[in-house]
Amino acid sequence: MLKGIITLLSFQFLGECISTLFSLLVPGPVIGMVLLLIFLIIRKSSFPSLDHAVANHLRYLPLLFIPAAMGIITQADIISKEFWAILVSLVIGTIIALMFSAKLMDYLTIKQEEKR
Amino acid sequence: MNVDALVEYITSTPLTWLLLTLGAFKFGIIVYEKSNKQVLLQPIIVSYLIIMSVILFTGTTYEEYFKGVEIIHFFLGPATVALALPLYNNLKYIKSLFVPIMITLVVAGVFSILIAVGLLWILGAELPTILSMTTKSITAPIAIITSEQIGAIPSLAVGFVIITGIIGALLGTTLFKMLKIKHDTSKGFALGLISHGIGTARAIEISEKAAAFSALAMGLGGIITAVFLPLIIQFIF
Repeated sequence: MLKGIITLLSFQFLGECISTLFSLLVPGPVIGMVLLLIFLIIRKSSFPSLDHAVANHLRYLPLLFIPAAMGIITQADIISKEFWAILVSLVIGTIIALMFSAKLMDYLTIKQEEKR
Repeated sequence: MNVDALVEYITSTPLTWLLLTLGAFKFGIIVYEKSNKQVLLQPIIVSYLIIMSVILFTGTTYEEYFKGVEIIHFFLGPATVALALPLYNNLKYIKSLFVPIMITLVVAGVFSILIAVGLLWILGAELPTILSMTTKSITAPIAIITSEQIGAIPSLAVGFVIITGIIGALLGTTLFKMLKIKHDTSKGFALGLISHGIGTARAIEISEKAAAFSALAMGLGGIITAVFLPLIIQFIF
């Protein structure tokens, strides 16, 4: 699995370097992700060690964002002041967005089928 | 016995917070599996509540807690890179529905941000909250690093991400039935695009096709949001 971990870290490193060098606004790890994707497309396949490292990282993905998420305890002010605005935006916004996305995708898919 | 020294050790070592966080998460996984994967009992929610209670009860500051678990936070970077693999594995599906995928990705992706931000704005929320809402539909690791980039509040952003995921997972299937959505690919794509990983976990229960399209939407949505959102926000301000 070491080779897989080195691969992930190298692509992150490369992404961060590119982001810093060109003062890009895109986060380094995202550049690393795109580079790894291009690498896999060119290579035409993954390798077991990478599969392994990826599976281990993604298996516990939610654990990885607990440290950042816990910062919410410092935001009690904003949350109590804007509670209703946040709640409405999250619930209504998500419902409408989900309906819109599914309907749009379905409509375009059916359109494409008819053309064929 | 030197109780004072022991208390001093426990309250100062990062191990305390590391163990609490890992232990609480493991407990969260057990609860989630025992409950037959109830969406509201996600491991993150159960462990989050446990850890938050301990932090508040002991009067620990966020800085102290974060220092203890910084090593966990570090892995967000490689985990983001790791997202390339599931995206790669599902990339072959792009060809079959290239035009619908690209149009939905851009139009629905932009629409979902605008509707959430618009609602906040109408209801009088302030700028940091509005900025933190812009990353709500992308997977949490990318949302955290992108929200840092655009001057939003990362913790608020993750909170919004998780809640958006849960709403989608809870209501998705009902909404799709209501709208008479025909294709599983559309259901999956919408779930992944709006409700990222939590939506994708739900899509797995619909069908394999839905899961693949959900993973595809989550990966593509994460990338284009991380690339264009900072540019657009810099352009506006």
